[in-house]
Amino acid sequence: MLFGIGSFLLIVALGLRLTFGRYLNHLKEDQKKLSAEALKGYFNWLGGWGKSYLKLSRWDKSLDYFISWGQKSYRSWTVWIFYALALSYLYLSLSGIFFAWFISRGLFGFPLLLHVACGGLFAVSLMAVLFLRARIYLPLSGGEGSKGAPEVAPDFYCLALNRYLPRIYFQAASFWLFVLAGFFLILSTLGSMLPYFNFPAQILFFNLHRWSAVISILAAMLALDVIIVKPGQAG
Amino acid sequence: MKRSSLKPEQSPARRLTWKKLGQVIIYAVCSFLFIFVTLQVSSRLAAKDDKRPQEKTEAEKIESEKTKAQKRNVETKGIIEKITLEEEVKQIPWTRSQISPLHRVPLMDEFNEQIVPAAPSAWPLSTRYSCAPCHEYETISQGLHFNLKKRPAVDRPSEPWVLVDDKTGVQLPISYANFPGLWKPDQIGLSDWQLVSLFGRNLNGGGPGEPGEKEVTADSRWSVSGRLEINCFGCHNGSPLQDHSEWVKQVMRENFRWAATAASGLGEVKGMASRLPSTWDIIDGPNPDDHEWAVVPEVKYDQTLFDSQNNALLNLNYQPDDSRCLACHSVTARKAETKAAVERDVHALAGLKCVDCHRNDLSHQMVRGFQGEKTAIPGIKQDSLTCAGCHLGEKPEKGGEGYAGFLGAPRPAHRGIPKVHFERLACTVCHSGLMPEKEPQEIYTSRANRLGIFGKANWTADYPLIIEPVFVREEDNKIYPERMMWPAFWAEKKGKELSPVAAQTVLEISPGIFEVKETVASLLNCLYPLAEEGFDPAVLISNFLFEPNVDGSLDVHRVKLNKKADEGKFLLMQKKGSEVKLLLTAFNPDEATAEMEDRILNVLNALKLQKPAKEPVLAVGKVIYRLEEGYLQKEEIEQKELKEGKEGEAVLPAPGWLEDNTVRPLFDDFWLKTLVELGDSGELLTEEQITLGLKRLSEANPAREFCYVASGQVFSLDKDGKLKAGQHPAARAVSWPLAHNVRPAQQALGKNSCTDCHSLNSKVFFGKIEAPGPLKTRVREERLSSDLMKTGSFFQWIFGLTFAVRPALKLVLAGCLLVIGLILAVVILRVTGKVSKIADEAAQKENRR
Repeated sequence: MLFGIGSFLLIVALGLRLTFGRYLNHLKEDQKKLSAEALKGYFNWLGGWGKSYLKLSRWDKSLDYFISWGQKSYRSWTVWIFYALALSYLYLSLSGIFFAWFISRGLFGFPLLLHVACGGLFAVSLMAVLFLRARIYLPLSGGEGSKGAPEVAPDFYCLALNRYLPRIYFQAASFWLFVLAGFFLILSTLGSMLPYFNFPAQILFFNLHRWSAVISILAAMLALDVIIVKPGQAG
Repeated sequence: MKRSSLKPEQSPARRLTWKKLGQVIIYAVCSFLFIFVTLQVSSRLAAKDDKRPQEKTEAEKIESEKTKAQKRNVETKGIIEKITLEEEVKQIPWTRSQISPLHRVPLMDEFNEQIVPAAPSAWPLSTRYSCAPCHEYETISQGLHFNLKKRPAVDRPSEPWVLVDDKTGVQLPISYANFPGLWKPDQIGLSDWQLVSLFGRNLNGGGPGEPGEKEVTADSRWSVSGRLEINCFGCHNGSPLQDHSEWVKQVMRENFRWAATAASGLGEVKGMASRLPSTWDIIDGPNPDDHEWAVVPEVKYDQTLFDSQNNALLNLNYQPDDSRCLACHSVTARKAETKAAVERDVHALAGLKCVDCHRNDLSHQMVRGFQGEKTAIPGIKQDSLTCAGCHLGEKPEKGGEGYAGFLGAPRPAHRGIPKVHFERLACTVCHSGLMPEKEPQEIYTSRANRLGIFGKANWTADYPLIIEPVFVREEDNKIYPERMMWPAFWAEKKGKELSPVAAQTVLEISPGIFEVKETVASLLNCLYPLAEEGFDPAVLISNFLFEPNVDGSLDVHRVKLNKKADEGKFLLMQKKGSEVKLLLTAFNPDEATAEMEDRILNVLNALKLQKPAKEPVLAVGKVIYRLEEGYLQKEEIEQKELKEGKEGEAVLPAPGWLEDNTVRPLFDDFWLKTLVELGDSGELLTEEQITLGLKRLSEANPAREFCYVASGQVFSLDKDGKLKAGQHPAARAVSWPLAHNVRPAQQALGKNSCTDCHSLNSKVFFGKIEAPGPLKTRVREERLSSDLMKTGSFFQWIFGLTFAVRPALKLVLAGCLLVIGLILAVVILRVTGKVSKIADEAAQKENRR
């Protein structure tokens, strides 16, 4: 119950914040304020944006963008590692969240089998991506804009402070948060499989796995916003 | 463009400010909290409300009824009556001592008169009056073991009574409880009298043994046998003289009112009420004219067990010994050949008694000890007496303060077992019953197969066939290990329903079809005069040797023959231990001795007694011996099949039947065929017998449709009169959860690894369950364990497959974890370095200032 409500609120809240940020990017500088007018405009925009995904062409476009971003960011065959990470993670997060929110029994049956299999792929691809991309997000490095990606993205507008913050901070935060959550996801999976931990430890691993998954999803959402999708685009 | 010009009608008060947004958030959070708390509180209240009526058990209902009745009495009769009522509650309050006193008490008979043990024809004791002065009989009679008819239906199923008839292949589960597949006694026309006569051996008295006047049926003989009162001694007697076998024998003799006295060892009971006329009553006393057959039961008390005041000296235990419970609750694997091979329950080995967990108060509502038991027992917390109650105690599962459960029960670690196992499986799945094998094992239970009754006869019955362990998902979505049996019975089709037909009806309509073993046994018994001293007659058919047993049926031995036996032929043999030889040796009828002719005469007389309508003969070549007005007559007969010995040559004699001046074999071809087909398989009937039985039933009742149910199938006749099999809910298996014997943790499933259950050849998921039954047939219900668990066999196969690669997955995950962990450590160190560098720079800057 707590997990269901907590994870739902966190994911929805971050989703709204990030999409609101994207909406603000469409506005002029003097309009970038939190106001009733901006909110109304935002919800209209959000409705239109959501509606656009009812068309298959929009999905095609998004997929093309995602593929081309991968090709731009990862050299040669290494892009397949990124695709493997993305695909496995997509299934892991969707199956995990769906069963946690809507099925009282939780994940079971064939979806669980696939979840475990994807978990292995996710662990390996995360490790590989870490090798490929970690130096970009190390402290003092320039982030996607400086080394990894050819384009320099504008900074991230913070509503609360009413100022722009360096995008690289958010990129690094999302990346390392995703890695850290992935670390705990793998740890809790492995821990529950080993015959060394008793029942309370199993409960701990279970909860650790669930909350790490939520953190991971939040980090992935942030990464999608600050790393992958161009600031000017709706996504 | 200014906002005011864009929306002139919007007043400043309607503008969104941080303050307003904050208020909105606070309102939203408060609303959410209010809804959340309301929902939680209401759901808990609803849960409590749901629980209350279910928890109101039979005992509580009775208690409340009593209270109401008492209140009514008090209201109508006044305060003096109230005082009287309170005095009527016959309970000695607990003295707070933990010892049980020696009971030096007068024994009372059923007329509440004190028994004088030295009296020549003393009456049997009555527990209703002997125990009642101190222990409220009516309260006890509502207990689990006695109040069978009104037991609360909220309980989970337990082992049913099984009505067995070996001759017609019947094994029908019977219970007063309302669970699918179980037949209520009144549904199959069983009166209290019949039920007690059939199953009284394992009834502890009370309930159907003490029917009210309205429940007495015309067929009953209660006035002769007396009521089967609650046998308090059966459980509580600490005397080594207490004898369950004696109880059974007395019940079988219809000596109901004498059974408790005889079984307790207080007195010896002779005579059989079953042989007395229905008009006899206990006040009639003994029959002076018959001292041999219809002897009235009589008690001869052991006077050494009484004091000079005629008080009995009774060693009664508050906590019955395990042996008392096991008299009716033993379960043994059929493949266990000796008592030494039988494993005991780990709790018993640890020194616990059955009643340490299965507790009760005066109400005798016993704790059954399963999770979620709904029968409330005053003063006892059932939840604390379940597996989890004892082994987890009060300590929270997620850690924290708390004490362990009863008697220092070890707290299980269950290392490496995912929590779904505790949500979906009962503890007993891994810890109880026989170790799963490729197929469930056949077992004997005391109640079903008459274990623990000792005497000259072998009381243990092969039927009903019950198997364990079978893992079944129950309504609560949990999987339990269970014992299972498939009903077998003759039935009439009434629309979509099946209505059992009494075995006696089937036997009467189909003479000569079903009692094959019994008939052959009785004929073999007639041949005893021909057997040598110490030898028993037997018959060799094909490669099976059949010999009569004490139950009037046949024991079967498979024998190795040098050459293939002639089909449809038999050879009369005699057997002593492992020595087997021909019953009749060749002899020349012209030289037969007087002794030989005397033996032949005895045999023919015995055969005549068995089959009065037939004429028994002994053929020796063309010569036959026959009975002529009670005398042995020797004459010649013309029959091609009979071999004639040459002049003076000895010929092998053969007993048979003379029909139309032709000697027919002793045993009918149908019998031989049936016996060979059944062989030593353990089954009771052939498909041919079923076909013939159904034909006879249809011929006798042309307008009605009959069938035979066995092994999960319904067998009936098609238009051509051939046997066909079909499905019906009434043919489905009946199962009930098992709890014992509990195996220690070291022998629990999963002890070795997950592959104890999750593997491609898992005995737990892919154990093949083939419905056993009395009918020898290839058409049986066959299922995999995973089907009964509703887990899907394909899924479990795939899941089992993953465990083959799981070690590799663990290695990969461990490797990834190590690498990612190292990189994260480097990053953390680097960030720490960066932060300390910034701090240093700031400090230097400060110093420079």
